[in-house]
Amino acid sequence: MINTGRKHLVHIVKFRWWWMALTCILLVPGIIAMIYSSVTYSNHAPMKVGIDYTGGTILQYGLEQKLENSDVAKTRQTLEKAGIENPYIQILNVNNTQQKNTKSNINSIISIRTKFIDKDSNTTDVITEQLQKDYTNPELISVSSVGPTMGKELFKNSLIAVTLAFLGIVAYLSFRFRFDYALAAILGVLHDVIFVCGVFSILGLLYNVQIDGLFITAILTVIGFSVHDTIVVFDRIRENLRYYSKKMSFGEIVDASVNQTLTRSINTSLTTLITLLALYFFGGVTTKDFVLAMILGIAIGTYSSIFFCSMLVDFWNDKKQVKAVV
Amino acid sequence: MKNKILMFWFIVAVVIVSTILIFVKPTKLGLDLVGGSRLVLEAETTDTIAKITPDVMSRLQFAIEQRVNKLGVAETVVQQVGDKRLLIEIPNVTDLKEAKAFIGETAQLEFKKEGKASDGSPIWVSTGLTGRDLAKSTLSTDATGQWVVSLEFNSEGAKKFADLTKALVGQQMAIFFDGELQSAPRVNEAIYGGKAQISGGESGFAYDEAERMVNLLNAGALPVPAKIVEENTVGPTLGADSIAKSKKAGIIGLSAVMIFMIVFYHVPGLIADIALIIYSIILFALFKTIPVTLTLAGIAGFILSIGMAVDANILIFERTKEELRAGRNLFTAINSGFDRAFTSIFDSNMTTIITCTILYLLGTSVVKGFALTLVIGVLVSMFSAITVTKNFMHLIFGTGELKHPALFGLRKDEIGQSYEATETKREKARFGILD
Repeated sequence: MINTGRKHLVHIVKFRWWWMALTCILLVPGIIAMIYSSVTYSNHAPMKVGIDYTGGTILQYGLEQKLENSDVAKTRQTLEKAGIENPYIQILNVNNTQQKNTKSNINSIISIRTKFIDKDSNTTDVITEQLQKDYTNPELISVSSVGPTMGKELFKNSLIAVTLAFLGIVAYLSFRFRFDYALAAILGVLHDVIFVCGVFSILGLLYNVQIDGLFITAILTVIGFSVHDTIVVFDRIRENLRYYSKKMSFGEIVDASVNQTLTRSINTSLTTLITLLALYFFGGVTTKDFVLAMILGIAIGTYSSIFFCSMLVDFWNDKKQVKAVV
Repeated sequence: MKNKILMFWFIVAVVIVSTILIFVKPTKLGLDLVGGSRLVLEAETTDTIAKITPDVMSRLQFAIEQRVNKLGVAETVVQQVGDKRLLIEIPNVTDLKEAKAFIGETAQLEFKKEGKASDGSPIWVSTGLTGRDLAKSTLSTDATGQWVVSLEFNSEGAKKFADLTKALVGQQMAIFFDGELQSAPRVNEAIYGGKAQISGGESGFAYDEAERMVNLLNAGALPVPAKIVEENTVGPTLGADSIAKSKKAGIIGLSAVMIFMIVFYHVPGLIADIALIIYSIILFALFKTIPVTLTLAGIAGFILSIGMAVDANILIFERTKEELRAGRNLFTAINSGFDRAFTSIFDSNMTTIITCTILYLLGTSVVKGFALTLVIGVLVSMFSAITVTKNFMHLIFGTGELKHPALFGLRKDEIGQSYEATETKREKARFGILD
């Protein structure tokens, strides 16, 4: 028997159906939100997409004064009166605690999303003028603009990147482990990606959170991390199978391996989460959503590698054995 | 033991070299950190140029480079991406709107004469004399004190101009700049000598207007029009803010991880912390030497790689603890801990490298920065977490039995209470197990 030095903390095999149910509970709300979004949004996207994919321009102005949420409506009205079509306005409050160091006295950022502003258009000037009426000294601190054709191309490239990453991982894992392990790992990754996308879909519906080019980066990192986590568990299963496959059932080995790697899985996620939380709370405003996607992905990735992937491997093995007996 | 000491001095040397490099080399910061503008221009076809060939692109790139250089900003980048796009990076630009207008302007100067359209209405028709025939252009004033743009043709242009004015005596000749009529003087006599002036028509030129036209004419016209398809501009205040915040986040994150490691793994945790500091120093030196341009996403990749670097140590320490629980002596436990954790570390890092490679090949420049820092981070962490930590562990703990289990965060009664580790003969030899 493999003795892990203590009682098993988690039981994968015994509570198999519970873990499946929990997985469903985690994923279903997000899936519903994504379906709801695809039906209701005009571009039929499962999440709110930012200008990186739709094309458009975002102007950000830094302000010294603190803004209230009611300012959003006010600014929208002013801009619509000035002939700006459907401006989308967001207010970011900067928790600027180190004002003295940075010499910046920006306390809030007002971000205005419009249609793609061509180089010949004077829309930027119009918006700046209008803002000068409502606020004192708005400073244009950033402009990002993506042409409509560019957006489509980026979207296509992102899809290609994600697909290739999946294939690359499957190929590598099939080579190093076995195809069914690779499949379980990929399903685990899919599970994590759906969860993160689902949460962002919900956030999009509730708080207008939009996904951008960085979101895809976050997703790809989560893919890498999730597989990373799963591999550690599978590596242990592989090792234990070598020594104990004659003495123990496959299920027992899976359970033991998961428990042996449990402390490591949790500690690793904790250290990574610590760094990410530091980035989330103390880092710049512009990367907040990016970091949030990674926090969610790494948390769910740890869950899936412990409970979901090992359960799948065990489940398939059971099926195979039943077939062999028959 | 001799090897271990040699290795130790090697590590010390690497750290010293890295530290020197950090002080000597400048840090390359991305536009999102220093402030600046990133533009992507796309070449458009015209009636005369129906296809964007590599030749057209290189001429476009040259013309754009000329203009960007005229802005007088250091470290600008003009680079071809794909078949018909140019990436332009201008750091520290103050008046972006001006710069953008300046870069995007086609600056096509054309001389036209009167003609008739098919329905008989008067139109301006091309004469074949364009900005390409210019030698240079200067800013000057005319007799009435108005700003004018003086043109000087090259020899071929001078000849064309002379022929044209000769043919047009008594008629109007129009000067178009980017499709806009500037002035249409009546030609009184043939002009030899290859010199001409553009006045701003009835209203005259404002100084800025005339100066810009001169600069554009001197920089050369774009062979084809180009439009801005992507733009990313960050003001210097936002950039400074991002640097300060990333620094703070990095320091807080790193310290929190270090505290966590000591609390959880005691002495090995402390060793891992030292390895982590060495890791950061080597990585930073590499960033400066390669050089990798640090962007906001790159910093995120760096901070994430800290998490992954620590992961390798956590894997190793967990394995070592298991071996110690099984009653192994220190030397064996440390060796087999490293050896057994290695396949996990290797396989998991390989997948990260695979995804990063794909990101690097397919991603936009922001994503590229992230992928590059993460890959370098993962590679360096394989060195720091495995070589550095292992070396220090051996040097500090030495051989023999573990006398103070608390150093590893273990209880005395745990030792020898665990699973019986099973090894093949070969593994025993490798781990240094003596039966």
